[in-house]
Amino acid sequence: MDVDIKKLAKDLSKIMGKEHVFTDKPTSVVYAKDTMPWDLEERNIPYAVVRPGNAQEISKLLQYANEKLIPVHTHGSGTSLVGLARPKTNCIVLDTARMKDIRVYPERGYFEAGPGIHLAQLRKELGKYNALLPVFPGSELVATLGGTIAVNTSAHGVDAALGKPGDFILGFELVLPTGEIITTGTESTRRPAGIDPTKFFIGSEGLLGVLTLLRMRLIPLPYFQHIVASYRTTEDILDTVMEMYKQRIFPPLFFEYLDEMAAKIGYEAVGLAEPEGAVAMMRIHSWSKAGCEERAGDFLKFLQGGSPTEARIVTDLHEWNKIWSSRAEAGNYMYRLGMTFGSEISPRVDKLREAFRDAKSFILNLDSYQGNEFISFGHIGAPTIHAYAFLRTKDIPNDVKKAVALEMREKSEDLNIKYGGCGGEWGLTAQRVSFLKKKYEKEVYEVLVKIKKALDPNDILNRGNLQGWM
Amino acid sequence: MDVTREEIMDTLLREVGKCRACRFCVDVCPAYQATEGIESMSPYGRLQILKYLLNGTLDEDDPSVYCLYSCLQCGRCDLLCQAKGQNLEVSNLIRLGKYLLSQGLVKGKRNEKV
Repeated sequence: MDVDIKKLAKDLSKIMGKEHVFTDKPTSVVYAKDTMPWDLEERNIPYAVVRPGNAQEISKLLQYANEKLIPVHTHGSGTSLVGLARPKTNCIVLDTARMKDIRVYPERGYFEAGPGIHLAQLRKELGKYNALLPVFPGSELVATLGGTIAVNTSAHGVDAALGKPGDFILGFELVLPTGEIITTGTESTRRPAGIDPTKFFIGSEGLLGVLTLLRMRLIPLPYFQHIVASYRTTEDILDTVMEMYKQRIFPPLFFEYLDEMAAKIGYEAVGLAEPEGAVAMMRIHSWSKAGCEERAGDFLKFLQGGSPTEARIVTDLHEWNKIWSSRAEAGNYMYRLGMTFGSEISPRVDKLREAFRDAKSFILNLDSYQGNEFISFGHIGAPTIHAYAFLRTKDIPNDVKKAVALEMREKSEDLNIKYGGCGGEWGLTAQRVSFLKKKYEKEVYEVLVKIKKALDPNDILNRGNLQGWM
Repeated sequence: MDVTREEIMDTLLREVGKCRACRFCVDVCPAYQATEGIESMSPYGRLQILKYLLNGTLDEDDPSVYCLYSCLQCGRCDLLCQAKGQNLEVSNLIRLGKYLLSQGLVKGKRNEKV
């Protein structure tokens, strides 16, 4: 497609002011690059990057894009781990970074925020009102609220204990792909029953509209208690999680594990004594101090009924912070020394052991690379296994990186299918479209295509993600 | 010990290529903050620009120079990268990149084989 860049810049500048329109190539490549470990191709590089300040400007932009048939790719912070953020075709990148206002209304029981606010900043602001942001991704420093709700992801075991973040959304202001501005939902803390359009846009991965304002319930900050438990093997932790669900015990807000290797690395990095095997760590919550202590005590008893070599409540916050940060340090160790290729496997809970065994087996026998190591940690209480292929080098050709990433994707998705899961964190389009097509009947994908076509007849928004283009 | 220009550029390219594009470093950058979050004015963005200048994807032009020279060398990104990412000496890499540019040693596509 031939696009006159100078004319494009002039037209876009009329919509949102020239200071918010960039057509220089350095800015374009910076916005196109994402966390995928392989490089950009020419088709990924946008014609322009625009930074609108409100719904009206986005409306005009989308009307213009439909008139000129130029795709628009939305950009929060580009942290997607399945390629959602990388433009699949030359386009206009719509950066939401300027839309980051927060308004907290304690008397109404909710807050409103722009899509571009970073979660860490939002958490800090909500903290002033003693309110909890029910989302804890590893990318919290930079992940945006808009991106989080567009993928409906929360990380840790928050799903199992509290719900998805979308469950707390009361309504949106958003712009449809054809430029109409609409509002959905309610200003009451009671969500609408029935066919509330709000839910069509939660988790819609930016395919059906651009969120410009999000209204979310204020959740009182709960009390927390922390537990750490050591196990001889990772399998013992998997057994514990299976037993927790079987006994219908309410899952902790966080229930993380480090396998034997991750625990050793993580503990050493934070200056704790080397554990003998694998480690599990939990955060229990409740809205009263006594209730929290009781729940933690009950959960500790449940753990002690299993096979830990040690399980205890950690009351010293300094010690807990060390233990908790060992998770991140295990990851950082791998990032520093080499390359990691991850997976997200969320099996039916009674199949955890088998899924873990299969994951270990395929990762130690990759076709695309020999000599890698296996390491795993993750939100096991959810349940999610993050199983990694760890390569102790960064000196790997681009095509090999891509091959390993894709093999990891394909084989871990096969396990999600085999063991009845779907994953719970990364969205279902872009690199996961092949999974979507394999997992469900063909009519499921066709329904999604029809919905997309009904709202976005010219396929303007995030083109290529629903098609599964790389 | 004599170090050739090619060796310096090769080392620099290898180092900036380690950036995972996690963008954890952006929020601490004063230039990023001052521009209301323009990613090409962030440590992450400068590393990418440097990489694509060195590998010949980008030409040396006013915007690339402007973005690289927007770095104040405060070093806050270094701390973030050490804590959260790849342990890169981000500000030093950018400083070296700026030096090579100022010496006319990096010329984008004209140095395609770098």
